[in-house]
Amino acid sequence: MEKIYILCVDDEPDVLRAVARDLALLEEAFPVETAASADEAKALIGRIQESRDELGLIFCDHVMPGQNGVDLLIELRGRLDLDLMRRVLFTGQAGHEDTVDAINRAGITHYVAKPWEREELLQVARDELTSYIIASGRDPLPYMRYLDQERLAEHVHRRNRTDTGQ
Amino acid sequence: MLRNTQSHVMNPKKTFALAVGLALFLLPLFLDFEGLSLMGHITLGIFLLAAVFWILEPIPIYATSLLVIFLQIVFLSVQGPLYQLSEVPSATPLPVEGEVWEIPAAALQEEDAVLVLENGKQAGVVPVTVTGSNAETVTVRSDELSTESRLVIDGDHWLLDFEVPSYTVYLNALANPIIILFLGGFVLAGAAVKYQLDRNLTRVILRPFGTKPARVTMGLMLVTATLSAFMSNTATTAMMMTVIIPIVAQLDPDDRYRIGVALAIPFAANVGGIATPIGTPPNAIAIGALQAHGIQIAFGTWMMLAVPLVVVILFFVWWLLLRVYPAKGERIVLDLSGRFNVSGKAITLYFVFGLTVLLWVSEAWHGLSSSVVAFFPIVALTAFRVVEIDEIRNLPWEVLWLMAGGIALGVAMQDTGLAEWLIGLIRWDLMGAFVVICVFGFVAAGLSNFISNTVAASLLVPLAISLGVSGMLADAASLEINAIIIAVGASLGMALPISTPPNAIAMSTGMLRTPDMARMGVIIALVGLPVAFVLAKFLWPLLVGN
Repeated sequence: MEKIYILCVDDEPDVLRAVARDLALLEEAFPVETAASADEAKALIGRIQESRDELGLIFCDHVMPGQNGVDLLIELRGRLDLDLMRRVLFTGQAGHEDTVDAINRAGITHYVAKPWEREELLQVARDELTSYIIASGRDPLPYMRYLDQERLAEHVHRRNRTDTGQ
Repeated sequence: MLRNTQSHVMNPKKTFALAVGLALFLLPLFLDFEGLSLMGHITLGIFLLAAVFWILEPIPIYATSLLVIFLQIVFLSVQGPLYQLSEVPSATPLPVEGEVWEIPAAALQEEDAVLVLENGKQAGVVPVTVTGSNAETVTVRSDELSTESRLVIDGDHWLLDFEVPSYTVYLNALANPIIILFLGGFVLAGAAVKYQLDRNLTRVILRPFGTKPARVTMGLMLVTATLSAFMSNTATTAMMMTVIIPIVAQLDPDDRYRIGVALAIPFAANVGGIATPIGTPPNAIAIGALQAHGIQIAFGTWMMLAVPLVVVILFFVWWLLLRVYPAKGERIVLDLSGRFNVSGKAITLYFVFGLTVLLWVSEAWHGLSSSVVAFFPIVALTAFRVVEIDEIRNLPWEVLWLMAGGIALGVAMQDTGLAEWLIGLIRWDLMGAFVVICVFGFVAAGLSNFISNTVAASLLVPLAISLGVSGMLADAASLEINAIIIAVGASLGMALPISTPPNAIAMSTGMLRTPDMARMGVIIALVGLPVAFVLAKFLWPLLVGN
């Protein structure tokens, strides 16, 4: 099974630690990487791609020193190599306009308001990664136990596809 | 931190498998097995390469199938370079006087005949009368020779002892009637998924089974087996998983019923595939190989052979799973809401589906073969745009290729005499027909635990068929029964998560652990196979052969 990374970008180390802890259940298949700023995030993305690993999901804070979260997400949305990656805005401080931009220009697939509940965050990650696996066209079976089984089973049913031959 | 996984580089295991496969492909060419033609040696190489590649999977199994067909065309067909570039060494006769000719001594075959080449590859026998000879040449009398005649010098040349077929023999495997039968099944199944016919049938069939856990399991298994008899076992299992995932989620985490129900679905799908010719690809391998010998097994005949077996095994699995994994609760409530799609296209599908199945099972009355019938849904559903380009692209074409490779391999093994030669290595006559059936059944089930069921059937069926043809077994029906028992055995190998895609799907949900599946799978095979043997002994001979 190839691992698919979750990237969390936030300037508060406490938040990063908490997110990594909350998503630890998915770790075997979806390890969490953290970055404290937009620049650090982009460098990390470069490293993940260099080692030919995949990035499936990004949780991104909005208000950060340097490039803000929505601008980072808009930039990443423009990259063809990351077009399947699910983008989640993860903030308590985005204003009305920023939020509109996040939806219209950054094409976020979910909005998580801080403070968050552990179960909620896990559920969002599961839903988004399920969508990612389906969109990526890869064999969903290795990831099934961590994600939304019903949706993935329906996907296998509709596509009639798994890697194991009959 | 990031690990540097080099998943795209060829791993050592794959390199090893590639090397072993290629080495085994070449090996027979350096050996000289008595009683096996050169073409047989080449086919043995292809067989060994296919076996290694299919089992160790350095390349995808369907790619191996295509490779088999490609190698056959290159090495075993008139159009291949090996044949195109080879010629039988020959000489022309020197005229002495009238009808007397001087020819090289090596050109004289036996006492009184020469071989005259017709097109550089094949030769006809021409009788001659020897009138004189010395060390190097003989003089012969014949009115059929001319200065243009090309006499074969080497009578044992490989081109002469095997009639090399046209490449259409191997290419035909890709459109073999049984492949068309499956294509028809795939198109029907694809349409059924698109219009949710399978899900709605599930709803309707499950409703009368109520809410008692034992009844619910029985209903789930019945639906799964019925659907998988006509659709792919994989798609059926995936759909049934979406039905049971919500109920399993509501169960107490330590209620063992969840394990039982999670096993019931893949097992019922694997077993259900046995029920019809289109249920699962191993059936196609058996039927296709029998067709190559002029033996037709009608759709309905197959069902009469297989359905009693399926019913008995399903009943046993049901009983076993409930005993080992009893329910704690009294009630299992399934969500059976939903309604049939009543759009024009959906209605067309229901009609076409019903009519096709009806025509399939009634072959004995109208005589149209199931492959001919299978063309009807292909044409009707595409013509009325019930299935469109997306569904057509989404058909599991690689499964057809996989089967075609198995069929083509079987054809070459028969034609070149390899299968008969391999069979000759074992003293089958010491065993008797019934023991042979048991051996094939167990070997097929054992193998297909570890490798694709289709592949297991592809490797074994040609051997079983030639054993039947060779006449080493007295029983005339054993040809058919040997082939069918292999198909059945291949479907009963289901002890491991990797054994079948349905097993893999069930395991992926995390509802059960490998030991659960392995224990139940082994018990089911150990009970199911003897049931099959008993039917093969007493019931099947009444239905096939004579």
